[in-house]
Amino acid sequence: MKADGTIVARKLCKSFGSHQVLRGIDLSVSAGEISCIIGPSGSGKSTLLRCINGLETIDRGVLRVNGEDFGYVERERAYHAVRPQVLAEQRARIGMVFQQFNLFPNMTAEGNVMSGPVLVKKVDRKVARDRARELLAQVGLDGCGHKYPAQLSGGQQQRVAIARALAMEPSIMLFDEPTSALDPELVGEVLAVMRDLAHNGMTMVVVTHEMGFARDVADEVLFMDGGVAVERGDAREVLANPREGRTREFLERVL
Amino acid sequence: MPELLPEDKKRITPKRPRDFVCWAVALAIVGGLVYTTVTNENYQWPVVFSYFTTESILDGLVLTMILTVVSMVLGTLLGLLLAVMRMSHQAPISGLARLYVTFFRGTPVLVQLIFWFNIAALYPNISIGIPFTDVSTPVDVNALMTPLTAAIVGLTLNQAAYMAEIIRGGFASVGRGQYEAADSLGMRGFTRLRHVIIPQTMPAVIPATGNQVIGMLKETSLVSVLGVAELLNSTQSIYARTYQTIPLLIVASLWYLIMTMALSVPQSVIERRFSRSTRRPAAATTAVEPAAGRPVSTTRESLL
Ligand SMILES: Nc1ncnc2c1ncn2[C@@H]1O[C@H](COP(=O)(O)OP(=O)(O)O)[C@@H](O)[C@H]1O
Ligand SMILES: [Mg+2]
Repeated sequence: MKADGTIVARKLCKSFGSHQVLRGIDLSVSAGEISCIIGPSGSGKSTLLRCINGLETIDRGVLRVNGEDFGYVERERAYHAVRPQVLAEQRARIGMVFQQFNLFPNMTAEGNVMSGPVLVKKVDRKVARDRARELLAQVGLDGCGHKYPAQLSGGQQQRVAIARALAMEPSIMLFDEPTSALDPELVGEVLAVMRDLAHNGMTMVVVTHEMGFARDVADEVLFMDGGVAVERGDAREVLANPREGRTREFLERVL
Repeated sequence: MPELLPEDKKRITPKRPRDFVCWAVALAIVGGLVYTTVTNENYQWPVVFSYFTTESILDGLVLTMILTVVSMVLGTLLGLLLAVMRMSHQAPISGLARLYVTFFRGTPVLVQLIFWFNIAALYPNISIGIPFTDVSTPVDVNALMTPLTAAIVGLTLNQAAYMAEIIRGGFASVGRGQYEAADSLGMRGFTRLRHVIIPQTMPAVIPATGNQVIGMLKETSLVSVLGVAELLNSTQSIYARTYQTIPLLIVASLWYLIMTMALSVPQSVIERRFSRSTRRPAAATTAVEPAAGRPVSTTRESLL
C-alpha cells in the first residue's frame, strides 16, 4: 500500500453554492516536509485542509495524496468519487487535528487513542492499549489514560487528539489551527509536541496563526487570501521579506 | 443591651401574609379531599381492598407489564431504525421514515389498535415467502391477528414513531465535529454510529425514553377495547358482573399509580445523572472546574 507522505494539489477549486472558496490552489508537500498555511479568517485555509482528507468534496483540480489520486479516480471525462470504503482507507493514512479537539467525550483518553486501531484496523485490544499508553507518554500525558476529555485541560485534550491521530500511523498529519481554542498559557505544550513530530520526519500541513512556530519549524509557508495562494515560498524568507503587498499587510497585523 | 452596628445586622426576608395564605389554601384543599374520600360511602373502600389482590387483577397487572416491556423494546428498536433512515442523505429513505412518523403520529392510537385488529378485512390472506423461490407459506391473517397480537403490533408501531423523533433529537445533539473526527480516523458508517454517535445521544435519549415508558404503561389500558385481559380489562370484567364500577376503577388506578411511581424513581435518578452535564460521564468530576453543588436560589423573584 502506497503511503509516501506527499501531497500535490493543482488548480484546486471548491465552492459552497455560489460562493467560490478555493479558486485554483496549488500546493506541493514532499515527504517529511512541514508546510504552514497562514492567512486571514475566511480565506479558505480550513476548507483546503478539509479537502485534503475528504471532509469536503472537490469541484475541480488535481489532488494527489500519498502518491495516488485522493477520493476520486480519474476517468476519461471526469474524476469519479470513490466508494466510501476506499475513501475511509485513504483517510486512515492521514491524521487530522481539529481546532476544537473533537475528542470522543464518551471514551477515556486511552479509549480515544485506541479507537482508530481497534475499530478501524481491528488491532487486538491489548496491543492497541499498550501502543496508546506509549503515545500518551510521547505527548507528555503519562498516567492520564483513564481520564475523560472533560477532566482534561484544553492543552491536554489537544495532545490526546494528536496521539489519537498518530495511533493510526499516518504518513501525513494535518493541523487546523490546533492552538487557537487554547488559553495562551497552554499553547506552548501543544506546539512542543508538534515540534517533536516535525523533528521525527512527519509530513505536516499546519494552518496556524503562531508565526513563531511557522518561522522555527516550517520548511514552506503558503499565504492564502480570498481562496487563492497569494505567496508561497521558504518559510523564513516569506515571513521576513514578503514579496506581496497583501502578505506584508497581513504579517504586520498579526505580528 | 448594646446597640447593633448597621454593618453587623443580618439581612432577612420577613414572612408575609401571602406565605401563610398559601399554606392555608393547600391544607384546606387536601383536608377537604381526605374528608370526602373517607366519609363518602360510595367509594366503597372495603370493596377496593377485597379486590386489590384478586388473582384476575394480578394477572391483568402482569399482562400490562409484559405489554409495556415488549412494545417498548420493539418500538425502540424500530424507532432507532427509523431515526437512522431519517438522517439518511438518500432522499427516498428519509422520505419513507418521515412518511411513517407523520402517519403514526397523526392518527389516534386507539384508532390504530382497532384498525390492526380488523386488518384481515383488508388483507385476508398474506403469503410470506422468499422471492423468486417456491418457498412460501400462506398465512391466515384473521387467525394471526388475535387481540394480543393486534395490541402489540399497534402499540409497537405507534411507539416507534415517537421513539424515532426522540432518537433523531439525540442525533441532532451530537456535533458535526464528532462525525468528522470519526471520519478522519477512517471509521465507516456503522462503526461510527455504534461507537461514537449513539453513546453520545444517551443524555438526550434516556430521560425522554423514561417518559415514554411511563406513558406506554398507561397507554396499554387502551387495548382493553380489544378484549385483551390487561389491568383495566380485568377490572371491567369484574364490575360488569358486580356493578361495583367505582371501587374497581379505583383498584386499577391505584395499581397504575403504584407502577408509575415505582418507575419514576429510577427515572429521576437517570435524569439527574444525565442532566448534570450532558457531555460528561457520570463518575467524572472535572479537574478543571470543581464539582459544584445544587444551585441554591437566592433571588427574590418568583413567577408571580
Ligand atoms: N460548509 C460550508 N458551507 C458554506 N460556506 C462555508 C462552509 N464552510 C466554509 N464556508 C465558507 O468558506 C469560506 C472559507 O472558510 P474557511 O475555509 O473556514 O476559512 P478559514 O479557515 O481560512 O478561516 C468562509 O467564507 C466560510 O463562510
Ligand atoms: Mg479555519
